[in-house]
Amino acid sequence: MAVIDTPLGVSEHPGVEHEEAVRPSRWRGKLGVWIPAGLVVLIVAACFLAPLVFDLPKPIGGDVLDSYLPTGSPGHPLGTDGNGNDTLSRVLYGGRASLLIAVTVNLLGLLVGGTLGALSGQIGGAVDTTIMRLLDVLIAFPSLVLTLAVAQAPGPSMRNTILALAFFSIPAFARVARAAVLRLRSLPFMAAAELCGTPRWRVLFRHLAPNIAPQVITFGMLGMGIVIIIEGALSFLGLGVPRPNPSWGNMIADGQQSLSATPGLVLWPSLALLITVLSFNLLGENLRVRWSGR
Amino acid sequence: MRQRIISQRICMALLLATSLVLTACGGDSGSGSSGNSSGKPVKGGSLTVLEDTAFAGSWPTGLDPATNTTGGANISMEQAIYGGLFLLRADDDGSNAKVEGNQAESGTLSDDGLTLTVKLRDGIKFSDGTPLDAQAVVDNWNRDLQAPCTCKPTWQLAPDGIKVVDPLTVSVTFTQPNAAVLASFPASNVNWIVSPTALQQMGEDAFKIKPVGAGPFIVQDNQLSSTLTLTRNPDYFKEGLPYLDKLTFQSIGGDQPAYQALQAGQAQAYEGMNTTPLIEQAQSNGNLTVTIQPATSPYNIQLNTKIAPFNDEKAREAIYRATDFDAIAKGLFKDKYPVSQSFTAPGGLFYPLEVKDYPEFDLDKAKQLVQELGGLTVNLGTISNYVAKQIITALQTQWEKAGIKVTTNDLQLSALVQQFQSGQWQAMLQTAGAWDPAAGVGVSFRYSSKSPFSGIADPDLDTLLAQAAGTTDMDKRKDLYTQANQLIADKRYSPFGLAFAPTNLAVQGVAGPGLTTQIPAILVNTGVIWDEVYRSNG
Amino acid sequence: MTVTTAAPRPRVSRGPALAHSPVLRLVVKRLLMAIPILLGVTALAFWVLSLIPGNAAQQLLGPEATPEQVHQLEQQLGLDKPGIVRYLDWLKGAVHGDFGKSLVSGQPVSELLPGRLAVTGELVFLAFFVSLAVAIPVALLAARRPNGVVDRLSMMIGTAGLSVANYVLALVLVLIFAVGLGWLPAIGYEPLSSGLWANLKTMILPSAAIGIPLFCFYGRFLRSDLVDQMQGEDYITTAQAKGLGPWQVLVRHAFRNSSFGLITVVGLNLGTLIGGTVIIEQIFALPGLGQLLLQSINTRDFVVVLAAVVIFAVVAVLANLIVDLLYAVLDPRIRYGSH
Repeated sequence: MAVIDTPLGVSEHPGVEHEEAVRPSRWRGKLGVWIPAGLVVLIVAACFLAPLVFDLPKPIGGDVLDSYLPTGSPGHPLGTDGNGNDTLSRVLYGGRASLLIAVTVNLLGLLVGGTLGALSGQIGGAVDTTIMRLLDVLIAFPSLVLTLAVAQAPGPSMRNTILALAFFSIPAFARVARAAVLRLRSLPFMAAAELCGTPRWRVLFRHLAPNIAPQVITFGMLGMGIVIIIEGALSFLGLGVPRPNPSWGNMIADGQQSLSATPGLVLWPSLALLITVLSFNLLGENLRVRWSGR
Repeated sequence: MRQRIISQRICMALLLATSLVLTACGGDSGSGSSGNSSGKPVKGGSLTVLEDTAFAGSWPTGLDPATNTTGGANISMEQAIYGGLFLLRADDDGSNAKVEGNQAESGTLSDDGLTLTVKLRDGIKFSDGTPLDAQAVVDNWNRDLQAPCTCKPTWQLAPDGIKVVDPLTVSVTFTQPNAAVLASFPASNVNWIVSPTALQQMGEDAFKIKPVGAGPFIVQDNQLSSTLTLTRNPDYFKEGLPYLDKLTFQSIGGDQPAYQALQAGQAQAYEGMNTTPLIEQAQSNGNLTVTIQPATSPYNIQLNTKIAPFNDEKAREAIYRATDFDAIAKGLFKDKYPVSQSFTAPGGLFYPLEVKDYPEFDLDKAKQLVQELGGLTVNLGTISNYVAKQIITALQTQWEKAGIKVTTNDLQLSALVQQFQSGQWQAMLQTAGAWDPAAGVGVSFRYSSKSPFSGIADPDLDTLLAQAAGTTDMDKRKDLYTQANQLIADKRYSPFGLAFAPTNLAVQGVAGPGLTTQIPAILVNTGVIWDEVYRSNG
Repeated sequence: MTVTTAAPRPRVSRGPALAHSPVLRLVVKRLLMAIPILLGVTALAFWVLSLIPGNAAQQLLGPEATPEQVHQLEQQLGLDKPGIVRYLDWLKGAVHGDFGKSLVSGQPVSELLPGRLAVTGELVFLAFFVSLAVAIPVALLAARRPNGVVDRLSMMIGTAGLSVANYVLALVLVLIFAVGLGWLPAIGYEPLSSGLWANLKTMILPSAAIGIPLFCFYGRFLRSDLVDQMQGEDYITTAQAKGLGPWQVLVRHAFRNSSFGLITVVGLNLGTLIGGTVIIEQIFALPGLGQLLLQSINTRDFVVVLAAVVIFAVVAVLANLIVDLLYAVLDPRIRYGSH
């Protein structure tokens, strides 16, 4: 999956010399952040609160006689799956699983990978080279082997899925953090801090972290979308959230096995996936614009 | 911004809606889909048949019957290349199924079940010109019996048991009577005779890729577990056959891509569909002929009677009473498959086996039993495939209504084997039986006290099954199997469920025995007879 | 990804003498580093594979095999030897160029892999080629007039396309183009020997499924970087002051610098994508390397798995190397070893 090293700079710009000044479009700026953020909040609320507020059927334990009901059936607005479970309910509960996994993986990546990369960039030298080479091995390692191994051995579970995903995400965050730190290292304030004899950890947390935070957090937002999509890919390969518990990924992977006959089972989780990833992508990008000021 | 998002949403929805509409329009709603109106056989043409990678579409060890470890799954390909000594044939609706001689003229088992005499047809040659005679058969069988495959027949041979009697006759002598020897033939590796000359010339490693047999087709190209391309054998011993000029087996990832490939015209047949919504879709698609084969192996819930909780008959009965396979058959499978109360099914040789007082679904009784037990906790496992997972999920819901606490496991093969061998499993959903209950590994695989894959240790049951496998008197066998089945029901050893059967799909114009007509599956898949498959519109 | 690994040199070498330049040192250094990486990767893969319960014998024989049958096949396949011994045996052969024979089919790996690699390689190449071939012009057009029509349109499509999972896209594409319209095949692969168009027909949908999200990503990425360059960098002002037209500024200067970021990202993608084609290969029944790896893991055929893992690792290392080389080509500072 892509590792974004240089920030996605989307800018309002006053215009190139010979051009007329282009009006900064209104949707950048405040609206550009608040609308996707609002959508994200809406999605999270729908997944975590709606099942409690509205009286929805449970996502598992359905009556097998209600099997494969089409969209628009009474009592099941989005239809049911093979075991009679309500699709709407599964989309919402599945969202919980997918979002939880995405958040956990990105947090892990951020904390472990980000720290590792920042340290590596800060310390430099042999430590830097070693860490980067180790990460190279991880990156060169075909993730497929690991995924399939985990899917077959301990078997699918939330925890294994998170671990497998973190395996990809940590090197990515490490690289971003390291690149950011390298860029910052040449700046005067870093030299000043070193001249003052500031201990390394203090430099890391008080000076570097706040400055690399925007890039890393933006990357994290984009990572949310990426992780949700990869979780789906893992479900195709037998990993992911163990059935019958739903996640968007495993709903798509299972539903597509009878796509021609039951398109709804793929359509609804795919839509949910699309809208959520889109919102995170927009949010991440527009945050980047806000914070970098370009 | 909001507008942009809304319009994006509309676009995506439209995109998907378009694709759905196009799919629905992909086939006209049709006339009846069973029985096809392709008329008389037509010579010529090529056919691509799809096989599921998970089973028949996987031949990683090559196609030499003596070294093919997945031989039990690759029967279709082997029939096309080798023809087969014996084949199972039946009337178009699957009744009167009989094993008949194909390259063999006849196969006779002595009354005591100890000697099998196989007479070959005269004049059959392998595609390299060498004769298919008794010596070739003996050479083959000696190799086949060393094969690392569960498709190897379980022959208990007397010393020097395989003999050439005359150039066209082979005799096999057993130390134990083997009633199902002929019934098992079409699904065992001994059915497929390779050219010993070609084998010697090419060496085993090359031969397994491009084997030489005496069947209707010759191997042109073989990409293991991917594509097998065959062309007509011009010297085939049957006049005028095969009809097809070219036959290609293509491995495919599952029912959905297979269905789409058929719709897109890239293939003309698919063996072994088991996704019910797609089967229904195919049935309403006028361009496809859907043939649901007669079922021979019902699902059953194996209970481990050797350890808790199922060493207690009450607990076992609670499972019987809490299980409603009729609902599962109706809900998940739209009543396409019959529910069985024995280890055989409508396509089976000894069906029906009468059972008295089978413990049927009775939720109140189940609840009462659970209460009497003071609660019941069960771990239910099965092999990891889509259909089995759906069934155990449904069972879990049913059993929980009776107050049973259920955890489910879908297991990969090695984990499944480990569970069985450790003896720590409690309940497993598996299939049992075959066309002839003694064929292949036999039902004793699931019910004998000596099998590691059985949860039952009942010497009476062992005796009944052994006797039934050991006598050639068909009426006696039926009686013994009836008693065995009654014993299983009486002791509440193992509830039976629906008898799943593979479904074959073919586009209009394609026809052939086993493909568009019904033939019971000897073990898992129906044996299509490729000699007689044709395409009437090119 | 580091921009350069060349240490600052105290003197500037004269002329574009690549032979003495840090470029050659870079290549050699990287190739040397590749060896421990390959070792590490194969050892890790073997270890991970050994953690999975079961072995080739059990997987091949299936659920109805008796323990005796499994044991017999294990001995035949040499699986009764301890893991370390098997790995070292394999390694000994590999170092001499003999990657062994498939445990399962007995076919030499050297026969098995090239065809598979060709399929996956073509798939990935087409996906990248087309996505870049479209992304670069679109990004240039978009950056020419930021917030203009082309820009906004491409942004909309770009963000949407980025947010789509490539497996969902693949399913939709098959529904529309193969089943619905019947223009392209739903499954299968035709090698080049069957004709160029026959081959391309089977590759269009799968590479589109991979390429479309890539195109969206590269397009946006490049466009942002270009706009960043055009807006803020001094050298742009200089170039414009010299009287260069806007297109020339864009292509000859801004793009040249933006290509660094693009190359980095493409290089990283390539390394990981080769293994990521499995699902697409499954959906389209393409006999590719991903599928082979999947099958080999299922049958615990460690010989084939290790060989495939080596290929993936080599691709990743090569991709990194090529990226760094391209940096050298594009950035004279690196080439001449100054800075």
